[in-house]
Amino acid sequence: MADGNGKACCGPGYASPAEAITADREKLLYTVALYVGTGVEKPDYLATVDVDPDSPTYSSVIARTEMQQIGDELHHSGWNACSSCHDDASKSRRFLLMPGVRSSNINVIDTSDATNPSVHKVVSGDDIKAKTNLSGPHTVHCLGADIIISMLGDADGNGPGGFLHLNENFEIVGRWENDNAGMNYNYDFWYQPRHNMMVSSEWAAPNTFMPGFDLDDVAAGKYGQSVHFWDFNGKTISKSFDLGAEGMIPLEVRGLHDPTSNHGYFAATLSSNVFHWWKDDNGEIQLEKVIDIPTIDVEGFPVPMPSLITDILISMDDKYLYFANWLHGDLRQYDITDRSNPKMTGQVWLGGMLGKAPEVNGIKVQGAPQMIQLSLDGKRLYVTTSLFSSWDNQFYPDMKDKGAQMYLVDCDVENGGMTINPDFVVDFGKEPNGPSRCHEMRYPGGDVTSDIWI
Amino acid sequence: MADPATHKVTVANRGGRTFDVREDQTILDVCEANGVILPVACRYGGCITCAGRLVSGKVRQPKGTALNKRQSQAGYILMCVAHPKQDCVVEVGVESHGDLYQNPFSVPRK
Repeated sequence: MADGNGKACCGPGYASPAEAITADREKLLYTVALYVGTGVEKPDYLATVDVDPDSPTYSSVIARTEMQQIGDELHHSGWNACSSCHDDASKSRRFLLMPGVRSSNINVIDTSDATNPSVHKVVSGDDIKAKTNLSGPHTVHCLGADIIISMLGDADGNGPGGFLHLNENFEIVGRWENDNAGMNYNYDFWYQPRHNMMVSSEWAAPNTFMPGFDLDDVAAGKYGQSVHFWDFNGKTISKSFDLGAEGMIPLEVRGLHDPTSNHGYFAATLSSNVFHWWKDDNGEIQLEKVIDIPTIDVEGFPVPMPSLITDILISMDDKYLYFANWLHGDLRQYDITDRSNPKMTGQVWLGGMLGKAPEVNGIKVQGAPQMIQLSLDGKRLYVTTSLFSSWDNQFYPDMKDKGAQMYLVDCDVENGGMTINPDFVVDFGKEPNGPSRCHEMRYPGGDVTSDIWI
Repeated sequence: MADPATHKVTVANRGGRTFDVREDQTILDVCEANGVILPVACRYGGCITCAGRLVSGKVRQPKGTALNKRQSQAGYILMCVAHPKQDCVVEVGVESHGDLYQNPFSVPRK
């Protein structure tokens, strides 16, 4: 079957990051769209967006795949297979797993009809809780034939959570880790078997973050401030770093795509700092803070407002780092050729609480830059504006009535720089069943946050 | 053993519909059984998707719900784990959530 690279000889994805960069331009984009916390009592859905500028339906939702029950809170998603299985012709990138953070259901979506995906199977959240004592599924990565999913809580919604292991038929195998000693909380993870590495981060227990963000919970130590470097083969934590006040709420973790590299970056969301990690010549993990976004005093606000770096990614050529400041409202591009000294090369404003760009492409922006997804060639950065329903309702309460938006930012990969594309906007405020919230995005052919080369 | 006591629960902002709810039932389950669709997600009191406001009456709910002190003081309960202790009037749905959420940076720290 066609798997995005047009080659029949191989498994999914691409032989290397360099080959991925030369793949055909993305024509479709999948995003989760939510009704949780909007007043529309309908299931969340997968929206298929036409991103082919030569198509008459460019810049619109062309299919909606509804989940089977209300209240999932779809959030992140991941493929059943990626470039890590490129050598295995029996594998294909066909199923997109979309966990519901609130329900703990794992919705498995069949994308073999790419323009009209369908629900293939639902792994029941109740089964997951009963068999593994885990809840709150988040990040999905394939792992050879199998799938592992970071789980943010135990069956009662308390920390620290762990990792759920599914087989290729989406049956529950059990817990992936041998020991979660050292974890306070869980969130995102990234792995690189070549270096026997896995890195995981910490949000908070579901019972803490689901009702909304409360500074009293931060003061009480209910939010994470540690990252964990795992012995990937041994499935145990080999070293944890408590980042202290500079590293509060570390979320997305991104390794460089080049499998020979042991470097990567993550952002501490509340502290709004970016950290760089690498393994030194003695095999020791090193960490350094490389970007620090200052808080801003907002008139009338007694507490200085952090930028809240909510998503971060690295271009396929490992040259640029992008991240979103969800409260301040800007999206930034940094040249990371010098790994320890990122240089800012681009910035655009979209919505946000500072009021710098309330309206973009004729639409009033609800929220601000949040999830981002970059094209394989690095030239097009898609961005959505919703974070999490209860947090949206705290910071951008109008979104529940007006929906979130998706924009496209054109990126200069030669000289650096970003500009908002004036011809693209998908307003989820105009969805047929009522306004919804769009969040993480994936392309059928793979993207810069899915594929790992081993 | 005697059957659990039953109380009248009135959903003020769904046309004032009133249901008999036993003390061993949740308000949410009875509303759903009667075709009133409420927002709901985790169904164990761990998220506040189903929050509503208790206008009058008393309910029993587990101590460890996800509502914080401020939200409880503002009268919010979680329909998925709330059992009536007497006749109650509730407001449900997102339209009852006006005081549920606040921007933590915009309010004074205690």
